Amino acid sequence: MSRVQLISVAKRYGDTVAVRDFTADIADGEFVTLLGPSGCGKTTTLRMVAGLVDPSSGYILFDDQVMNRVPTNKRNIGLAFQSHALFPHMSVAKNIAFGLTMKRRPKAEIRNKVEEMLDLIEMTGYGDRMPAQLSGGQQQRVALARMLATDPRVLLFDEPLSALDRNLRDTLKYSILELQRRTKKTAIYVTHDQSEAFAISDRIFVMNQGRVEQAGSQLDIYLRPATEFVANFVGDNNAISGVIESIASLPDGQRTARVKAGTFELQGYAPDTLDVGDEVLAFVRPENIEVVGQNTQQQADGLVSGMVEQIVFEGPTVRLNVDCDGVLLNVSASGVERLTLLDKGEKRVTLRFRDVSLVKQ
Amino acid sequence: MSGSRPIDLPAGVTIPEGAGGSSSWKTVRTVLQHAYIWIWLVIFVIPFLATLVYSFESPKGGYSLEAYDFVKGAFLENLVYSLELTLMAIIGNLLISIPAAYAIVRHNVPGKRLILSTLNVSLYAPAAVMGLSLLITYAYLLDFMPLTHSTWGLLAAYVVGTFPLMLLPIIVALRDMPMVYQEAAHTLGASRAQSLFRIELPLLGPGIGAGILMTFVIVFNEFLVTLFIAGPENQTAALRVYGLTRTAGFSQSTAAAAATMQLVSFVVVLVFFKLVGSRYLKGTYFA
Repeated sequence: MSRVQLISVAKRYGDTVAVRDFTADIADGEFVTLLGPSGCGKTTTLRMVAGLVDPSSGYILFDDQVMNRVPTNKRNIGLAFQSHALFPHMSVAKNIAFGLTMKRRPKAEIRNKVEEMLDLIEMTGYGDRMPAQLSGGQQQRVALARMLATDPRVLLFDEPLSALDRNLRDTLKYSILELQRRTKKTAIYVTHDQSEAFAISDRIFVMNQGRVEQAGSQLDIYLRPATEFVANFVGDNNAISGVIESIASLPDGQRTARVKAGTFELQGYAPDTLDVGDEVLAFVRPENIEVVGQNTQQQADGLVSGMVEQIVFEGPTVRLNVDCDGVLLNVSASGVERLTLLDKGEKRVTLRFRDVSLVKQ
Repeated sequence: MSGSRPIDLPAGVTIPEGAGGSSSWKTVRTVLQHAYIWIWLVIFVIPFLATLVYSFESPKGGYSLEAYDFVKGAFLENLVYSLELTLMAIIGNLLISIPAAYAIVRHNVPGKRLILSTLNVSLYAPAAVMGLSLLITYAYLLDFMPLTHSTWGLLAAYVVGTFPLMLLPIIVALRDMPMVYQEAAHTLGASRAQSLFRIELPLLGPGIGAGILMTFVIVFNEFLVTLFIAGPENQTAALRVYGLTRTAGFSQSTAAAAATMQLVSFVVVLVFFKLVGSRYLKGTYFA
């Protein structure tokens, strides 16, 4: 149980910068995810917290103590690796006991702890198996038990599920979340999979090219992307470029801007950094475009009409490609009404945008 | 095909003659294949068998174990000395090769390739050249340490000559061992030494085992380099057998000594594979 702070942490390898100026204050018991494409510096950041990589500059603090000079084995952390990294020459029980054996704890205590951990991961009776005799999911669960057995102050996860198949990934990510909630330990989780990040995090740091692009809750990241990168990396998005015509403040303190984009206008949430006259990208998610009418020519405020170019039935959703006077939009319709869109033939649809967010171009 | 349910083939499908073959021809072929392998095995083993049989022949006619009294008596001293030397050479090789392998695999040593190929020179050099070179070197070193005609001199010669046989398999095993095991050990609280002895060395076991086996086989049977370095006090088993053929002629007791040497190597190799399993032949856990 620990508060983890990173203060202007950076890592350079010669001329290349792997991580630049990473600052974060992670509260005791918080579950934080570093999300980004491969090579964005998320794993390097995690490895610096673990002490496996030395920062080029900046400080890493556990509970207000500077950790930079503390070697990995004295940091009392638990790290789950991408490959489970179970010691292949040791039984499951020996693997789980390893951390306690290193601390020279009494044999009885170790035995009890191993049993407790096997119960926790629902693998009672598997103590004598060798890692090679287990399935991929079981191996990763043993790895989790092994890291929890030493009662670490911080849990670190380096894409622990990426080597597993999809069904297993879904079950295990909730197991991880449950274990973290139950043990109330601070956790830092690295992944490139946004659905994983959304499912388990209290807070997400989206990283790109060594930099934190945005830090916030799932909803912040998803609905109010702060940069073009975040808008494009997290989920599908439509990008419409335009110019801000006016800005109004809403009662809740948010600001809404009117944007002229080609032949049509739209409303979007504007962060404080935007001003009238700024060129912006308006981002609207496919599922936030509502089909309000078919084969009609409604011309009301906030509505846009376009020609349907392609329709794909995806089961729970119907995906439309709509051409709105030269702007191509990706629309994802759900609900029962979606089925009425499937009638063949050229058609004109009227669309309404919801939750449009604006990012400076 | 006997015993299996007959399969109804679709109309118009025919089986070409000879397809599938007859079972008797298959049996003949299997027997021939096995015979071929066994013939070669016997040819390889004949010299050893001949020595063994000869050692059992009694000068008075018939067969006896008389010649082995010599092995249990005077020759035992030479055998023990050879085993001691071999053990020390193995320890020496381990002490040199494990740190060297880490340096070469895990650290950026400049000129790594050149170092590696230079180190292996002793493997390519003819034993006579090795012996002569060592003798000259020892002569230069005489004022600092008397190595010629000494156990330490022999040991140094063996280690110089055989440590690449230890180093190379360890390098291969270390290259195949992912860093992640070491890192996992550290995150679980293991110190550098704990990780080395509990995790890394056991995982390098196959490579180390292969190195020990090769060092044993080479050093225990080494003759030519020994001939250059050894003094009257340094009678290894191989040297003694050679000496016997010149002094005592080709007697039964000489054959018994030679056969015993062969037997020791043979037993060590067998025990090694029995103990550590064929997994160690592959070299690593991670292939």
